[in-house]
Parts: sequence; C-alpha cells; structure tokens
Amino acid sequence: MSTSFKYLAPTTRAELLGVLADHGETAKLLAGGTDLLVNIRAGIARPAQVVNVKKVPGFSELALGEAGLTIRPAVTINDLLRSPLVRERFPLLASCAHDLASYQLRNRATVVGNVVNASPCSDMAPALLCLGARAVISSRRGQRVVPFLEFFQGVKKTVLRPEEILEEIVVPAASAGARGAYRKLKRIQGHDLGIVGVAVHKHAGALRLGISSCAPTPLLVEGLKESDPPEAAVAAARAAIRPISDLRCSKEYRAHMVEVFVRRLLQEVR
Amino acid sequence: MLISVRVNGHVYQRDVPEDRTLLRFLREDLGLIGTKEGCGAGECGSCTVFLDGRTVNGCMVLAVEADGASVETIEGEAKDGVLSPIQAALDRNHAVQCGYCTGGMVLSVRELLQNNPRPTVEQIKEGIEGNFCRCTGYQQIIEAVLEVSGQLTPGAKGELKHV
Repeated sequence: MSTSFKYLAPTTRAELLGVLADHGETAKLLAGGTDLLVNIRAGIARPAQVVNVKKVPGFSELALGEAGLTIRPAVTINDLLRSPLVRERFPLLASCAHDLASYQLRNRATVVGNVVNASPCSDMAPALLCLGARAVISSRRGQRVVPFLEFFQGVKKTVLRPEEILEEIVVPAASAGARGAYRKLKRIQGHDLGIVGVAVHKHAGALRLGISSCAPTPLLVEGLKESDPPEAAVAAARAAIRPISDLRCSKEYRAHMVEVFVRRLLQEVR
Repeated sequence: MLISVRVNGHVYQRDVPEDRTLLRFLREDLGLIGTKEGCGAGECGSCTVFLDGRTVNGCMVLAVEADGASVETIEGEAKDGVLSPIQAALDRNHAVQCGYCTGGMVLSVRELLQNNPRPTVEQIKEGIEGNFCRCTGYQQIIEAVLEVSGQLTPGAKGELKHV
C-alpha cells in the first residue's frame, strides 16, 4: 500500500457524523473495504482519513419493521444470504447477493458499500431499484430520504455529499413476497465483475427489470405488466439500455445478452 | 497504532502503521508466512484467513481493523504436527502441487464444511470460487473435499468411488 492515511474508528453515530462534517472532503468511509482498499492500493483513492463505520452501535442491523426491511452500513452480502427472512420474503435481493464476488469477499463486502460505489456493474442496485428501495442519508445537519431511482448520478457518482453517509437502505414492506431473480454474465463461472446483469421482478401484476453494466448507472425499467408478452419486456429493455463496447465485450453483445436474460428470467420467475 | 490481536490462540500486541493490511501484519510483523500474497486485490484467495470465525481475504482487511479480533491462519490448522483431516485429504488426493494456494484453500474448505458438512460438487465449487489454483485444475481438490465429507471412498483397485 503506497499511501498513508489516518485511521479513525468512531464508536458513536454522533462522532461519525462529526468526523464527516470536519473531514468529509478528504475522508473515505471503510465498511467491507473490498473496493476501498483495492483503490488505495492502486492509487485511485488517496484519502487523508479512513473512517471505519463498523464500530457504530446498530450499524450491523438487518431487520424487518413496519417501514420495511432496513439494511444498515455494516450489513454484509453474506448477512443477507444467511437471513431466512431475506431469502423467503425478498428472493431478488438474495439472488443478486448470491452473484456478487466470491464467498470470502461476501463475508466482508457490504450492501451499502456496493451501492455507494455507484459502479455501473453494481450487483445489488438492480434489486434495490426493482424493489423500490429508499436511501436514508444522514449528516450532522439532518437526514434526507432519496429513492434509489434518483440515487445514482453517473459512473461512480451518487447524490451523496462529502459530509453525508448512506445510513440505511429501506426496502418497502409492500415489496415483501415479490418474486424475482437475477442473472449475471461473467467471463468465467466463478467470481467476476458483471458484463451484463438483469433482474426480473414480478409483484402484484407489475413487471420490472433492473439492469446493470448497460448504462452509466444501473437502470430500472418500469411500466410493464406481468401479463405482457416477452417481446414487450425485451423492447422496453432495449429502449432503456445504452451499452458501450469495452475490453470485456462489445455493445452489440451486451444488448443481445440483455434480451437473452430477459427472456430466460421471464420463464424462470413464475 | 497499538493493536492487540489473537492469532491461533496467542495474543500479540504490536504497534503497526495504520495502512498495513492484515496480510502484511501476519507475514511481516508476526512471521506467519503460511498466508500468501497472490494478487493483493481480493481476487485469488491465497491470503484467506479466519477473522472472528469467518473467512476473509487478509489483503482486504487493515491490521488496525483486527484490533481486538481473533484470527486463525493455516499455521493453526495442524495440531501437534498432525495434519488436520482436510489437509490429510488434500494430501491423499494429490490436491497439492506448488502449494501456494493450499493454505487459503484449506481454510475455505473448513468454512464450507462448518456450514455444510456434505456439500455437493456445485456447492464445493462455490465454496472455493474465491481461491484460485493454477496447478491442479481443481478436480483433485473437489475429490478431496468429497472424501473428507464422507462422499468418496477408495475402491478395490485404489480408485475413488462415490458413496
């Protein structure tokens, strides 16, 4: 690791928000570290402070309440997968989580970390978009709530300001029981970044698609019905995506595989 | 920063730079060089260790984050010079060639079998997907896991048979 930083591990929420108020411009939050430490090692991130969020009481909480399923900043991907509640009531979340990285990385990587990085290939974003999840964003000045549809602003860009933290993801209770599954195209069967990811979500007659790696941000395709023919879903997906060609594949292949995955998932998700 | 970490049952106190990874701490500060650095970026799994009972990539954790935690490395696997059942099964099944991935592989297999004592081949592949082996082609490793989980036995001619 080439750079040096100051390590801070606040043990209260107030202390954490204070650190962000004072050092937000130069600090990076550390949850699982599976993106941050790679970026520091590569010299892409050069934070003056690295702030561990895992010592704040309650930040590991994963619970279903009246508002819905709340996912706090230290909840790991494997925490989701080990939760019978998530597997049974929010199968699309589990399906996305299952395709994210390798077992050891899932023990460390967090749901919040996966979305605040705002990678176009985020695996959790398609589920959160389809499920209508909200981001509860906190700073010392207060709290605001942003739907995930507005959360992503571009490649690696979100609505988060330097002094803010995504303190809680809320998946609405109304989406509990929704059927859904995610398919991710990779170069190998093992763990890899997605070349294309498609989520299909069916709930109360409505059909939604969540798509990763096909635009600067993860995408949501709404306005479809479960009863629509597959051609309608494919056409809506094609209209929404803006794939690029890069070292992993061409934009034509991405567009083709989105169509293939939409058709397969419509069959699979009953 | 002064940290105190329990490693394989022994508590170590060391003053470490804040940007030091757990991997470097184990290797360079404690001399426990069984944990290997491959990619250094969380891809290959050769630095796999247990941190508070779960496998992690040692290159993806800061040593200061492990302050107060319990770490288990491959050095803690054999007891009194006797290989653990997982190590012995890898040995018997020719699942070790250069050996660089083996330490991490053993610990991932241990975590897999703790959660799932009779994994299917697909579940084994998933359990070790974060551990790259560039020698064996994985087949012998998978057979070793099947054997140690009681799903393969040696046949009459020494060949392995599914139970």
